[in-house]
Amino acid sequence: AAVLRRAAAGGRAASGEGQGQDPDPGQGSGSGRPQPLEPSLLRFLVCPLSKRPLRYEEATNELINEELGIAYPIIDGIPNMIPEAARTTRKKPPAEGSKQP
Amino acid sequence: AAAGLCPYRALLARRGGALRALCGSVRGLAAGPETHFGFQTVTEAERREKIYHVFENVAKKYDVMNDSMTLGVHRLWKDILLHKMNPSPGTLLLDVAGGTGDIAFRFINYVRSARERQLQQKLKHHQNLSWQEISESYQEDKFKSLGDSQVVVCDINKEMLKVGKEKAQHLGYSEGLSWVLGDAEELPFDDDKFDVYTIAFGIRNVTRIDLALQEAYRVLKPGGRFLCLEFSHVSNPLLSRLYDLYSFQVIPVLGEVIAGDWKSYQYLVESIRRFPPQEELKAMIEDAGFFKVDYQNLNSGIVAIHSGFKL
Repeated sequence: AAVLRRAAAGGRAASGEGQGQDPDPGQGSGSGRPQPLEPSLLRFLVCPLSKRPLRYEEATNELINEELGIAYPIIDGIPNMIPEAARTTRKKPPAEGSKQP
Repeated sequence: AAAGLCPYRALLARRGGALRALCGSVRGLAAGPETHFGFQTVTEAERREKIYHVFENVAKKYDVMNDSMTLGVHRLWKDILLHKMNPSPGTLLLDVAGGTGDIAFRFINYVRSARERQLQQKLKHHQNLSWQEISESYQEDKFKSLGDSQVVVCDINKEMLKVGKEKAQHLGYSEGLSWVLGDAEELPFDDDKFDVYTIAFGIRNVTRIDLALQEAYRVLKPGGRFLCLEFSHVSNPLLSRLYDLYSFQVIPVLGEVIAGDWKSYQYLVESIRRFPPQEELKAMIEDAGFFKVDYQNLNSGIVAIHSGFKL
């Protein structure tokens, strides 16, 4: 039952009650309080281009492919795994807005 | 080829010019080989763009339109798909182009009932356990209501996923369900991961079906099952005529009245006509490496369920 409650809380994080996530005012994408990624997803998710594993970066709420130097944003708890949506992490400070075209 | 059928093609063509320019500036790539958008001929890049806009526009009214167009019968088709899948608790499902969650929610309901039956059976047989055994079984946390079943809903369209996620919250689905924005032709999932892959009324909108099928094969575990529910071809000539009449005269009107969008539903009926028939799709699925590929017609071929296994 505890497992169920935790999972339910995670699923309903849209109401803004995240799981102890630091509200990141610098994020600026939509609600300003980034929803956590469903943890079980990390088991399956890889970079769609290279099919290699990703690293979850809590600070910017992104999934990073270190090899290719790209970061996929997570918006409202949904990871955006479309290559065109990813931003490059190299030669650019992560402070650059994560809002993608 | 079907110039006489669609009086609104001129309208579509005008839209097409603006979209083409947009595509050129945004992508900055070669637009790609020629393909079709309904009865129009467009480049691959244009087609993707147009289809994205179709679903962006219809997302909020998607479910209502499905009920109206099919008089609720789409629900039965989806129920039959689940029944054919017959998932047991612990199944990992990837539902591609799953947008508003119809298949995902049905999956969760199905494994939940299966799990309840499983637990009841267990209790029946364990009437004579020792106290030691009973306390051990509680510790092992064996009473998970879904039994480790999971469904990942993957869709390329943000609006459709948004509607799906809201629906899930509204209906109380949270455990064992996750949402990913991804491209069926380039899935963001690792190899050999899923027990079942479904694509319901989605493969018709994929531009490179062969790539989507290859990706489906890749992400399935050995022994995994591919299931595709899609509009198909009616061979019976009388039924075919009635179906055409209904499709081209009634559906776009419903689209205009209910969703305020004639063009999207015109695209829908045209795309159904352009989609490969049962045998051709079967061959494409076999080409991707699947075995024991078979299909089942529903309502005389208005809809078909194709199935294949990764061995």
